[in-house]
Amino acid sequence: MKNDSQLARDFLANGKSSSCPVIDMHGHYGPFQGIYFPSSTAEAMVKTMDRAGVRMIVCSSHASLVDPARGNPLMAEVVRRYPERFRAYWAVNPNYPEQIKHDLSDYENYKEFVGFKFLADYHRYQITGPNYQPVLEYANERGLIILVHTWGRSEFDSPSHLEKIAERYTNAKFLMGHSGYGEWDRAVSVAAEHDNIYLELTAAYAVNGYIEKMVSEAGSEKVLFGTDLPWFDPHYGIGCVLFSKITDLDRHNILHRNAEKLLGL
Amino acid sequence: MDFFDCNACFGISQVPLSLRQATTAEELLQEMEFCGIGEALVYHIAMRDDSPLVGNELLSKSIQGSENLHGSWAIVPCQTGEQEPSHAFLRKMRQHGIRALRAFPSKHRYLLDGIAFGQLFRALEKRKIPLFLSIAESSGGRAGWALVEQLLLEFPRLVLVATDHGPWGDDRFFRPLLDRFKGLHIDTSRYELDGGIADFCDRYGAKRILFGTGFPAANMGGALLTLSSAEISKKEKELIASRNLRRLLEASSP
Repeated sequence: MKNDSQLARDFLANGKSSSCPVIDMHGHYGPFQGIYFPSSTAEAMVKTMDRAGVRMIVCSSHASLVDPARGNPLMAEVVRRYPERFRAYWAVNPNYPEQIKHDLSDYENYKEFVGFKFLADYHRYQITGPNYQPVLEYANERGLIILVHTWGRSEFDSPSHLEKIAERYTNAKFLMGHSGYGEWDRAVSVAAEHDNIYLELTAAYAVNGYIEKMVSEAGSEKVLFGTDLPWFDPHYGIGCVLFSKITDLDRHNILHRNAEKLLGL
Repeated sequence: MDFFDCNACFGISQVPLSLRQATTAEELLQEMEFCGIGEALVYHIAMRDDSPLVGNELLSKSIQGSENLHGSWAIVPCQTGEQEPSHAFLRKMRQHGIRALRAFPSKHRYLLDGIAFGQLFRALEKRKIPLFLSIAESSGGRAGWALVEQLLLEFPRLVLVATDHGPWGDDRFFRPLLDRFKGLHIDTSRYELDGGIADFCDRYGAKRILFGTGFPAANMGGALLTLSSAEISKKEKELIASRNLRRLLEASSP
């Protein structure tokens, strides 16, 4: 192997590295409609995290992506069981704006959440639409994180849609979930130009050469690791980071240091 | 551990497959060396994007003399006269040291069935020549696996390796087929499902899953670390990493 990364050697030998306590900024929890999961319970996820040296994961439950009133408390319960391993995103469903009012008053009652999760492509509702506005204002006032599922050329949540809300709500921190998959140039330039936008790697890590482009054009300080666990084995994404042609300093930034700063760990 | 990639290609594609490709066999070898992957069963992207027959020739020329790169050819129905009838095609495979075939039925616009390929596929069954079929190339998901099902219903002894079945966990599609057809194998290239490889081995053993990277569409490191770190025995890892593909190629006798 000509890859001279010490981190790569550590992970290949042990499946993890004590010098690299990975933080996964894009997780879920529980069963889901279109896929068989061998390991979707909290206990199984912790086992996976232990194997891959993942210190912490920030998740929204799958149930919350359909019915937030049912799903968000489920996620909070997981964080209470594993306070050192899990944090949560409060998912909102923009198709039920009345519920969002309740969501925001409920949010205050929970300490387990670091911000919000938007899944506009699946909800078929633009992130620039009025139903998201109360959540954006709330997050902006408090400097919260919003993980936004993004997809290249989506009519609901493309990198350009994200740019519009990030320019308006400058105090909120936006994670560009899947790094605008497919719209590579635009996604990286939007992240490079806005202090409050970060590229999040879930699924995008696999695209050969994309991590190098992110690091070269936006800087490794703007890239965050994520996996969609329990969908994807963390080793797959970590392997893509380790075998991208970047430095170990960049790899540490991506795999844990940037997330530590965002989460105040 | 020796890694023998069953699913990698090189050459200039019509539309870039990723942001960094290997345009030549030499560049592919450099990528493999960077990751510690010793050998690969490869195709030239011209076999898919230019012309299957031109691509087959380019492939054989590009890897001639290589100990690390092993060739596979694309097929088309012989009824148009572009490809030789079964007997002559197999002879040509022998002459060029080709022991595996690939089908791109969507791109090359043919029906992958017994009407188009009956004589050839009966020979593939008899001679244990593996056929690699990209599920993504056949529109992915339901359409791709339905094609696999139809093909194996006609040729139940065919050694068929389904590649590129995507990261979204196609187990509900392929597990019933694995139960029914013993010649069906899958590759690992985008089998990212958490715990998927171990769960697969528990149910089906380790002999029907092959290490593949899906390069250059995918970063080689993903499949590499996923297999290296899977919760299976060292022996199972070795089977998946290289021994299964080596066994299939050794059994193949065009």
